[in-house]
Amino acid sequence: MSTATAAHHHDDHPTGIMRWLTTTNHKDIGTMYLTFSLIMFLVGGSMILAVRAELFQPGLQLMQPEFFNQLIGVHALVMIFAALMPAATGFANWMLPLQLGAPDMALPRLNNWGFWLLPPAAILLTAPFILALFGIGDGAIATGWTFYTPLSVQGGIGVDFAIFAVHLLGISSVMGSINVLVTIFNMRAPGMTLMKMPLFAWGWMITAFLLIATIPVLAGAVTMLLTDRHFGTHFFDAAGGGDPILFQHLFWFFGHPEVYILLLPVWGLIPHILSAFSRKPTYGYKAQIYSFWAIGILSVVVWAHHFFTVGLPIPALLYFMYSTMAISLPLAVLFFCWIATMWKGSMTFETPMLFATGWIILFGIGGLTGLILADVAADAQYHHSYFVVAHFHYTLFAGGIMGIMAGVYYWLPKMTGHMYSETLGKLHFWLTAIAFNVTFIPQFFLGLAGMPRRIPDYALQFSEFNMISTIGAFTLGLSQLIMVYNIVRCVRGGKKAEAKVWEGAEGLEWTLPSPPPYHSFTEQPVIK
Amino acid sequence: MATSIVDYKIVARPNNSLSPKKTVNIVALLALFSLSVAIAFGFAGAWMVFPFAGLELLALAYAFYFIHCHADDYESITISGDRLAIEKHYYKNTSQVVFHRYWARVVLRETPSGEHRLWLRSHGKEVEVGHFMNNRQRLALARQLQMRTGAFH
Repeated sequence: MSTATAAHHHDDHPTGIMRWLTTTNHKDIGTMYLTFSLIMFLVGGSMILAVRAELFQPGLQLMQPEFFNQLIGVHALVMIFAALMPAATGFANWMLPLQLGAPDMALPRLNNWGFWLLPPAAILLTAPFILALFGIGDGAIATGWTFYTPLSVQGGIGVDFAIFAVHLLGISSVMGSINVLVTIFNMRAPGMTLMKMPLFAWGWMITAFLLIATIPVLAGAVTMLLTDRHFGTHFFDAAGGGDPILFQHLFWFFGHPEVYILLLPVWGLIPHILSAFSRKPTYGYKAQIYSFWAIGILSVVVWAHHFFTVGLPIPALLYFMYSTMAISLPLAVLFFCWIATMWKGSMTFETPMLFATGWIILFGIGGLTGLILADVAADAQYHHSYFVVAHFHYTLFAGGIMGIMAGVYYWLPKMTGHMYSETLGKLHFWLTAIAFNVTFIPQFFLGLAGMPRRIPDYALQFSEFNMISTIGAFTLGLSQLIMVYNIVRCVRGGKKAEAKVWEGAEGLEWTLPSPPPYHSFTEQPVIK
Repeated sequence: MATSIVDYKIVARPNNSLSPKKTVNIVALLALFSLSVAIAFGFAGAWMVFPFAGLELLALAYAFYFIHCHADDYESITISGDRLAIEKHYYKNTSQVVFHRYWARVVLRETPSGEHRLWLRSHGKEVEVGHFMNNRQRLALARQLQMRTGAFH
């Protein structure tokens, strides 16, 4: 047999800017999602640092209340839609094909399109700030991320920009979800049944189901808002026979599952890390999957707990209170499994494990404070206070972003082929964990003492806790630059990473070299 | 009436872990939930949810339909008598190339990553085969074709 060597176009791919514009490769698109997410994380973080600077002392110091409200609203939209969701999608792009033994995502062109809708959406969200500098419009959306009517009907062009941004982000999310579902269902390697799938894939599958179930409701709601603003409809205008509370129902029908959309990929990812660094198999694999399903299903039937105080009928209050509290049962199963995975394990605390264990504690606080808010009687006291702000930052920053950071450190050597600096990683973890608590524990006390959220000025009695919170926020913000530096350093070089970077790591992604070849799994693995 | 005896036939298909029945179940489940929500909100006055839910379900159904169409993709190589036929089905298109068995040549080329790609060539015309195979399977196929065709390069 003779073998000729000829054209190598199978391994060819465009270089330079065209590679990134036209790529259909899951790893390239995953990298773009993660990079975009990191940039928007810094943008959204900068906005809230300006807010915290204003709140350092009582009285108006740096900005007018309108601008303060704009910063808060866009911070939330950027962090949720442009930082946290793209980060999870970036991991899905990078890791799902590797974990499932597939050569790529099922619909690669759709994948490219899904990503490239994000930058225009980010521009739409932030452009009103710039336009206002030139005298066009009155700035960005100032209603908070919830678009509540009638304020959003009366708002400036920032609301319109945000509506179109949300539409683009929604389309992108739906396209990503369709791709994830088709990939998971159709491209698993032979032998990989659903009940052998990695938990990260399970978490993402339920996330995709939730997105597909709820995004049309958000799209319908913001379109109705747009027509109320510009086309004379009265969907949410009580004077015209509409119902402003209907908007809250619509928004939170999407908004509450959105919390789990952000968290489920992290719940899927954390067990991999706990198992790898405890050198033990994941405890309660099936129990975790059933809990994912239970939480996913419950998440779409509990939405009104976000507006208990709006004046709902008593039976509705009771139903939403009990159904919300019911979520704590499957969540408790998950916590049990996470802890049991570590139990009597041969544990080591490299940076991903530090983030994962810190995540369990901090996300636990987020969950427990959520139970307090689920109580109708207690919620009347805490609603719209800083207690709520602290609670959802424990769930979304600690439970979401710190989980993503654990994933970054866990998979970064696999993605780049280089080891990151453990010293810097650990420094980043400790500064983040401490500064996060310094920022948000005072906010629990502020809320309990009665300080409302979304105000640029406050009573003197709240001064000390606000000062501490601001110091914590700046430390938290600046410590993220350590992670940025560590990532850049790791991408540019460093100690070579082995195929199986972590001794205890299990899964198909660790059978490929680090970094994996441009085309993953040209030979299909068989799972026994 | 002439009868042809097939000396050798191989059919290769891509891996599909989803059966058509499960595809229908998944799309139906999502459609049931999404449309129920849209109808419920429609009765509450938010009828604009409905067109978005419909558009999304169309996109979802099309995505699954698209991969379902590709589920039937195949490559087949049939050798009967002095005839070597390569048939490819991709999406909804089927193409066939027929070579003279004893003039056909098997060509293997190595890529920088160590993978091998396989062609059948005759009279200046070349057809790549083995798309749905891994490297080991392509090498095995090359050996089998070599034994049954004119020569091997």
